[in-house]
Amino acid sequence: MTQLHDTMVDFVKVLRTADVKVSPAETLDAMETIDLIGFEDRQFLKNSLSMVLSKNPEEKETFEHCFERFFTFEKFQPASSAQSEKSQQDQPDDGEFNPEGDPSGQSNGQGGGQGGGQGGGAESAEQELDFEPRDPTSELGQLLLSDNHIEVLIRIAEAGRAVGVNQIVVFTQKGLYTRKIMEEMGLKGLQDEVADLQEDGGRPEMHLARRLKNSRDLLREQVRDHVEKQFFLHADESGKQLREELLKKVKLSNLEKRNFKDVQEIVYKMAKKLIAIHSKRRKTFKRGQLDVRKTLRRNMKYDGMLFDVKWKSQKVDRPKVMCICDVSGSVSNYSRFLLMFLYSLAEVMPKVRAFAFSSDLGEVTKLFEKNNLEDAMAKTMRDYGNGSTDYGQMLQDFKSNVLKDVNGKTTIIILGDARNNYGDPHQEILRDIYDKAQRVIWLNPEPKSAWSVGDAEMKKYAPCCHQAEVCNSLMHLERVVANLLRVTT
Amino acid sequence: MAIQNEDRLKDVDVIQDNFESQNYICSLEIATAVFLAYHLEKPVLIEGPPGVGKTELAKTTAELLDLPCIRLQCYEGLDESKAIYEWKYGKQLLYTQVLKETLGEILDGAKGLAESVDKLHDFGDIFFSEEFLEPRPLLKALKEEESCVLLIDEVDKSDHEFESLLLEMLSDYQLSIPEIGTVKAIPGKKPLVFLTSNNTREISDALKRRCLHLYIPFPDANLERRIVEARVPDIPPRLNHQLVSFIQELREMDLKKVPAISETIDWARTLILLHTESLDADLVRQTLNVILKFQEDVESVQAELQGLTNRALKTSQ
Repeated sequence: MTQLHDTMVDFVKVLRTADVKVSPAETLDAMETIDLIGFEDRQFLKNSLSMVLSKNPEEKETFEHCFERFFTFEKFQPASSAQSEKSQQDQPDDGEFNPEGDPSGQSNGQGGGQGGGQGGGAESAEQELDFEPRDPTSELGQLLLSDNHIEVLIRIAEAGRAVGVNQIVVFTQKGLYTRKIMEEMGLKGLQDEVADLQEDGGRPEMHLARRLKNSRDLLREQVRDHVEKQFFLHADESGKQLREELLKKVKLSNLEKRNFKDVQEIVYKMAKKLIAIHSKRRKTFKRGQLDVRKTLRRNMKYDGMLFDVKWKSQKVDRPKVMCICDVSGSVSNYSRFLLMFLYSLAEVMPKVRAFAFSSDLGEVTKLFEKNNLEDAMAKTMRDYGNGSTDYGQMLQDFKSNVLKDVNGKTTIIILGDARNNYGDPHQEILRDIYDKAQRVIWLNPEPKSAWSVGDAEMKKYAPCCHQAEVCNSLMHLERVVANLLRVTT
Repeated sequence: MAIQNEDRLKDVDVIQDNFESQNYICSLEIATAVFLAYHLEKPVLIEGPPGVGKTELAKTTAELLDLPCIRLQCYEGLDESKAIYEWKYGKQLLYTQVLKETLGEILDGAKGLAESVDKLHDFGDIFFSEEFLEPRPLLKALKEEESCVLLIDEVDKSDHEFESLLLEMLSDYQLSIPEIGTVKAIPGKKPLVFLTSNNTREISDALKRRCLHLYIPFPDANLERRIVEARVPDIPPRLNHQLVSFIQELREMDLKKVPAISETIDWARTLILLHTESLDADLVRQTLNVILKFQEDVESVQAELQGLTNRALKTSQ
């Protein structure tokens, strides 16, 4: 049983690598399950484990995939035994390794063909060859033809450890490690022997050479499987974490398009995390109901007269967030990114209003709601993007269109570099907003030292903000948004 | 009784057969879930589109096992006083009144305050005792002497905090009442718990982790035909074929709400009532509102009605 449990632990590890969240408690459940149902019925096992380990439709799909890959071994043992039963066609000695068994089965079939029809097993077919079969001399060759596939598996694992296959990090190393393991197992001796035999050219020699070559190919496949499994177990996970960590620290503007998918995932995860913190707050919200229990308790001391009435606690308001994003040329690299974040945030958090501008302010909330991320960003950039910046104009637009909706619960986030092309900054409007809104937060992608250099008006805007921060990496952004939620609720 | 139930849930095939005798046709996954739930003593969280028989599964299980089915319908604002227990406030108040009146007798002969308080303590406090406890579904399920099936329906409709109230119940089959202590299920008589969810919101990981997770999708044509047959025994096999393939086609379409099994069954009943032998476009048009619940859907299907019907007729020949 313990061996089964170890298998289970490996499998859980694979699942986690594949992003299925499995807690230790669920692992224990899974072990209990296999104790109950055993490994015999594969379909039953799959259904059962799927219920214990994967807890939503997406995870179930991943689970299925992982299960198929992981438990292939179980599948091919019966297959191999079935094959050796119908061993009319002279099975290769290590046929167990290859459920399909085609290449070796065919080539050896020639030899077995002579005695076909009556042979009871691999050995008997072997005996009917009209020459004395030779024994291999190399160590690996002997092992491979010894019909001891457990030993072979152990040797592969040992060789794997010796060359450190669990250090594998990227998939391009798969070939390398396969070769290394083969060499460790004594591939060279085998190759030499095959070469010698072929040179000799006699029938027994050629026969043995053929067998050895077939075995070698099979072995290579097995080793590759082993490496694959190791990669699956070790590399995927660490590689992914590594990538995520790196991406988080990379400056937003440096993010290349090819990383976009990954980034999107991180942003989505982050937004999810934020909303989780967020919805926890929401839980304190209860309806304005009479809390009978509290009331009674509280009024016991007044002889049970109910005059100190207790209500279930009051509703806590969620913050209303308005986000204004500069999409002009100078910050376009950042803004694509900020828009993406904004989009994800709007998905998980209600009451986010999004605006974009170069000079004229436009609301993109609807656009975000209707379109998927790519389209929404493309459309935003098309409609508002890449013009020359005019913060003054933006603020005036904001004043005339949106300011009336701003109240003490509103948080306003402005994303931009405050480079105003030497126009009128209209900081007095920002001051108005500051007075009316709960918070005004300015996130500037440029480092603080650049805030007053050239046409930057940040020095004038900063006093009209509750918070003015540098924000040019995901780490920054995460921190800022977390703060936002903490402060406003 | 318990032994009998053990037999009824002996293995997956037996469960499938037994459910079939209750007119509930279930897939292998569903039977596996019930099997595991019973033998591992774990709750099952059932998810899936509306109308695929989530609630029905719990009810059928209860029927099969001859156990009472205690149902807790979740809704927004459901709290412990409606789900677990409530004090009988009226009686408690009366009790204090009575206590006040008999106070003289109790304290009779006591000298000084300390002694009076001691006497009062000796009298015993039943203000918070089971006498005044009104059990609600969860507590009732625990106290059920012959075990039971507990159905917590549409758990996604309840608030987040309610989920955490469920956790203790789901993992340890016990409930803590601060004033009294912990109420545990009778050993060996733990209730069989089913939770259903329509996925209107994500159920928390803490809850999911304590449950087996069963996802019931729409059935394939074969299974659905068997379900219709079991539920509407009068239906001619040919009509059954046509009707199911029509519904299966509908599910491929982009509709606001695709018809579920319950709609298929309703439709089958309707058609029987109309003495239908075979589907035709007109008939489908007239009865479309049985299977489609939104005007938009009805309109978009009507446009393709002839084609859909013909295809359904063809595939079922």
